[in-house]
Amino acid sequence: VIEKLLMKMRARDEIDAAEARVLAELVLDTQEFAADANVVRAEVELSTSNLLLEGMMCRYKDVANGERQIMELHVPGDFVDLHSFILKRLDHNVMALVPSRIAFVPHERLADVTRAHPHLARTLWFSTLLDAAIHRESMVSLGRRTALARIAHLLCELYVRLDIVGLTDGASYKLPLTQGDLAECLGLTSVHVNRTLKELREGGIASFQGGTVTIDDRAALERVAEFNPSYLYLERRRR
Amino acid sequence: MPTFFLHIRNGLGFIEDEEGCELPDPEAARLQAVKGARSIISEEALGGEIDLSGSIEVADQAGRVVMTVSYAEAVRVRDARPPPR
Repeated sequence: VIEKLLMKMRARDEIDAAEARVLAELVLDTQEFAADANVVRAEVELSTSNLLLEGMMCRYKDVANGERQIMELHVPGDFVDLHSFILKRLDHNVMALVPSRIAFVPHERLADVTRAHPHLARTLWFSTLLDAAIHRESMVSLGRRTALARIAHLLCELYVRLDIVGLTDGASYKLPLTQGDLAECLGLTSVHVNRTLKELREGGIASFQGGTVTIDDRAALERVAEFNPSYLYLERRRR
Repeated sequence: MPTFFLHIRNGLGFIEDEEGCELPDPEAARLQAVKGARSIISEEALGGEIDLSGSIEVADQAGRVVMTVSYAEAVRVRDARPPPR
């Protein structure tokens, strides 16, 4: 069940077989969520954390004018609201963007792991630090990057994150989102996203059609995005 | 909810909206078109030049264009004096 979580962790840390068993025993139950289903609502008291097994989720906030900002997209293997283990509630919502399967991890089990397995505790800590790094990069995009660079950056980041969990196929990956979803991630509108995607497509750089991203010229995409994967902490070392 | 398609027609040509979006009525589609135009114009403004000659064509599911929102009508231009030399 936790295979993708292990792939994600092992890209950055050394997790031995005994530790992998401990992680597997964290899971109490799994559940399917339909597209657009809320998985966690803001301000609700929480006693379990969610691990995304399949599908795609996001954390978002609604704005009074009816618009929505997606702060982070989550891919399989992401321990999406590990944060609630410590925070006990979230200040934002978590939603399934497409049909998704989630594993529930009770907070008491996480507490047991932090007591008995200090290295795993650090690994889990790492996971929330990585989310923070992804959010910082997103702030740079929203504040300083052009629409073209924002989209290019997101496409680069998702390639790396999906590749780690074995969900890329050569230069392509499935991104089952709409242009409207992308607009909500990038502070744009679906019209603007459509126009900007055309620029990437006509430049022979990348395309996003029918729910599939194809990167035709990785170097050019990374150049447009000013993408530096350093913030994804891909060094495999004992944390 | 009906699906509307927001195609862009500008100096570069025609950009088809292949995906469309579900919106309650044509008025909601018009607002989406206005927001889209403003989003594009605002980024052009950051680059120092805005082109108001484009437009967004709102089409229904049958492909009929039900309205056209020009960039020029998406924003009110209050001061059209030529820029200082």
